[in-house]
Amino acid sequence: MNVEKVTGSLIAALLLAAIGASGALAQADQDKQLYEAAKKEGQVSWYSGILTQQICDEVGQAFTAKYPGIQVSAIKTTSQVAFQRLLQDLKAGAVQSDVFTSTDIGHLIYLKSKGELVHFVPPAEKGMVKALQNVDPDGDFHTSWVGLAALLYNTKKVSAAEAPKDWPDLTDPKWKDQIAFGSPNYSGMVGVWTVAMEDRYGWDYFKKLNQLDPLIGRSIDDAVTVLNSGEREVAMGNPASALRSAAKGNPIAVNYPTSGTLMVISPSAVIKGSKHPNAAKLFMEFLADKEYSQILAKNLEQPLRADVPPPAGAKSLADIKLFAPTPQQIVKQLPPNKEKWRDTFGM
Amino acid sequence: MSLAPAPQMPGLPAPAARRRGIGRARLDPASLVWIGAAAILAFLVLAPVLRLTAASFQSADTGGFTVANYLAAYASERRLVALGTSLLYAVAVTAVAIGFAVPIAWAIARTDMPLKGVIRATILGAFITPPYLGAIGWILLAGPNAGWINLAWMRLTGAQAGIVNVYTFGGLVFVTALYAFPYVFVFTTDALDRVSTEMEEAANILGARPLRTIFRITLPLVLPAILGGAIVVFLDTVALFGTPAIIALPARINIATLQLWQFFEFPVRAEEAAAYAVPLIAVTVAMFALQRLILGRKGYVALTGKGGGRQLVQLGALRWAALAFCLLICAFSVFLPFAALAQAAFSKAWGLGFSLGNLTLDNFRYLFAEASNRQTILNTFSYAAGTACLSVGLALIVAYVVSRRLVRGGAILTALCMVPLVIPGIVLAIGFYAVYAPPPLALYGTAAILILGYSTRFLPIAYVNCLAGLRALNPEMEEAVRILGGSQLRAVGSVVVPLLKKGLVGSWLLVFIPATRELSTAIFLVTAKTRVVSTMILDLSENGNFELLAALGFFLLGVTVLIVLAGYRLLGRDFMLRRS
Repeated sequence: MNVEKVTGSLIAALLLAAIGASGALAQADQDKQLYEAAKKEGQVSWYSGILTQQICDEVGQAFTAKYPGIQVSAIKTTSQVAFQRLLQDLKAGAVQSDVFTSTDIGHLIYLKSKGELVHFVPPAEKGMVKALQNVDPDGDFHTSWVGLAALLYNTKKVSAAEAPKDWPDLTDPKWKDQIAFGSPNYSGMVGVWTVAMEDRYGWDYFKKLNQLDPLIGRSIDDAVTVLNSGEREVAMGNPASALRSAAKGNPIAVNYPTSGTLMVISPSAVIKGSKHPNAAKLFMEFLADKEYSQILAKNLEQPLRADVPPPAGAKSLADIKLFAPTPQQIVKQLPPNKEKWRDTFGM
Repeated sequence: MSLAPAPQMPGLPAPAARRRGIGRARLDPASLVWIGAAAILAFLVLAPVLRLTAASFQSADTGGFTVANYLAAYASERRLVALGTSLLYAVAVTAVAIGFAVPIAWAIARTDMPLKGVIRATILGAFITPPYLGAIGWILLAGPNAGWINLAWMRLTGAQAGIVNVYTFGGLVFVTALYAFPYVFVFTTDALDRVSTEMEEAANILGARPLRTIFRITLPLVLPAILGGAIVVFLDTVALFGTPAIIALPARINIATLQLWQFFEFPVRAEEAAAYAVPLIAVTVAMFALQRLILGRKGYVALTGKGGGRQLVQLGALRWAALAFCLLICAFSVFLPFAALAQAAFSKAWGLGFSLGNLTLDNFRYLFAEASNRQTILNTFSYAAGTACLSVGLALIVAYVVSRRLVRGGAILTALCMVPLVIPGIVLAIGFYAVYAPPPLALYGTAAILILGYSTRFLPIAYVNCLAGLRALNPEMEEAVRILGGSQLRAVGSVVVPLLKKGLVGSWLLVFIPATRELSTAIFLVTAKTRVVSTMILDLSENGNFELLAALGFFLLGVTVLIVLAGYRLLGRDFMLRRS
């Protein structure tokens, strides 16, 4: 269906209206054809840079339950490792993964520029929260996970009234020796955060932070550990890991910044030349569909769809003020930002 | 007198000459076995390393030859400084590790200090602790704001600030050494166990004071073992990522592995990473040149055909001082950090601190409730055991070939065996994956790919240990077998292996333990069915699930200590070494 290429536009709306009910029937028919073709392939292999191995396995089992006869082999590593493996596979001409998911959108942009991706738009993407649709205007890769960057604090040491409400509040001198965050040199999420903050407040933002002697970890999730141990009181971090820890009773809370929570999209794509291309497409469809978002919510991650309620304590993506730099902006600004970061923080 | 260093024995030819004599004169068909093993080994090590070296000279875009990667990798002053800091860091850790390990090894092997078994088991517990976990334990203990030690100090003295800060160069070195010193300890105790005390007794009879005996007789006799352990610690530290990521990064200490990791962030520059890592091979070669220089032409043959006795030094009241030192190091490396981690492992929510209502065993229960977790744990131990068998087997053969000079080019074989340790795991892993995963080997998704990768990675440890053991073994016993008509295989099977039994078990453990915690190779090679604990730990830490992570750490500690104790019990004492 050509429609997918021009979603969101007026033409698309008109066409959709024109096709109407017969279109929906055609869609169901297409799904069935895809499933039949996928069933012949029997399995799909997924290199995942997102979630945990356990959640990835849960996704795989749910997929097999929905589409009997197709096994999922999910391999969770860090995105860098998944990407390295994929590059080696491509070099050796033996592609092992059908679907590749990375927290680093740059990986997908690179693969797309090399012509290594299969163009496929999962029909279910239309049900995702608007901000998550069309992450690639050409429809070669699609949102599978959303990382958020928000403000976290230790509730034993900081009252809700005192806690920072918006990004500039972190630079308040009262947080001297009490701030924690990750490094753009080790975490793509933190990298995007530097792009976003520089955009809004200029690089001075980080110079001010440096004067308060922050504890700089590696990943965005390190913040949860140092907040729990009481070593630090406030942090920039990922609400999902904070809420997971808080759900057990840990003294951690999230403030979604008033001026906007930073959103980092982790996309997936079907790799060209893979052994199970149809199963791969079907799996992409599954990642855009309702069951997958329900699994996310169950594991205290942000669901991608508005028709799946968010986990307890979290807000729905539809209700949070979100903002995100464009992929182009990230690709262009991130490398120099890492250099600036080293100059400012010395690491 | 059976135990004099060989060159001092009058009237006998130098051992080197004698060894060469056997090798040249009696190269029998068994040599084919040795040569074959050496060839397999060369493939296992050479293929990934060559792949890596080639990549460092390859353009990322065109695949053509270039030196641009080297220019780019070393263009920044920060990267050069990082290399320097890394070397300094490794030297400091090695020195501290020797300071921890050698006194404990001596106290355990040579004195009547009490509680030896407990100390030994605890040190192996320190060895099994993933450095990552130990470092977190120390952040809980010595974090400047909320570290237990600092809180206790402030409470006791009313001071405004704490006294220790883990986020310093000293803190980094100390914490790293706490989990690295077991290498030196195992090497040294193994050597001390093998060397009889007759020479030390002779020195005492001739009126030497105890300290003089230690420094003039005991330590020089086991110097090759201490150096072997030190080299392993040094190379391991140069390539270490976990502890620096947790401590050096927040402390803003710039070291090479932290730089190296950045090559893998967007935009990925694996070729530059290879270029940055290749010179570390030169570091390995330099280490061995240094070792040669220190050991010089002296011989260290200490184990001959005639058994010797063991006389323990009676320390008197001093034995309590020795015990105190050992316990202090054990406390630093295991008791204290695990006490801090216990708060997480047995808590529902560790951020709430100690309280009865917060106590739970759920974290442990959960570890075993999930079938995939059980599989992961089983994988970890069986791969580690397979790795230990394979690499000790290969190491013994190659070390035998080299020490008995059965083939030319022993130095090259040695360098080959040692290189995998110094190349940072993440870079080496790319080489493994490139060689093992695609056809013709096509080992992707099998347990074999992990065992091969691990075996290559830990071969150096087994090799150094086997070589030290063989150096201390006088070839006269093998010669006896040969003179009596036995084959070379029989000489090894009936003489060398039984004599080195304890040392070989030591080597086996030295490989087994790091293999259970190996991460950087594993993350590249695991698939859905072949997952291991280290990747699970990474997952848990990324997920912020610190309670489960700590529980897993406890479980690993417990299981390994049990395996180790069972191993020692099964083996018993080596009768050859006992005074009859």
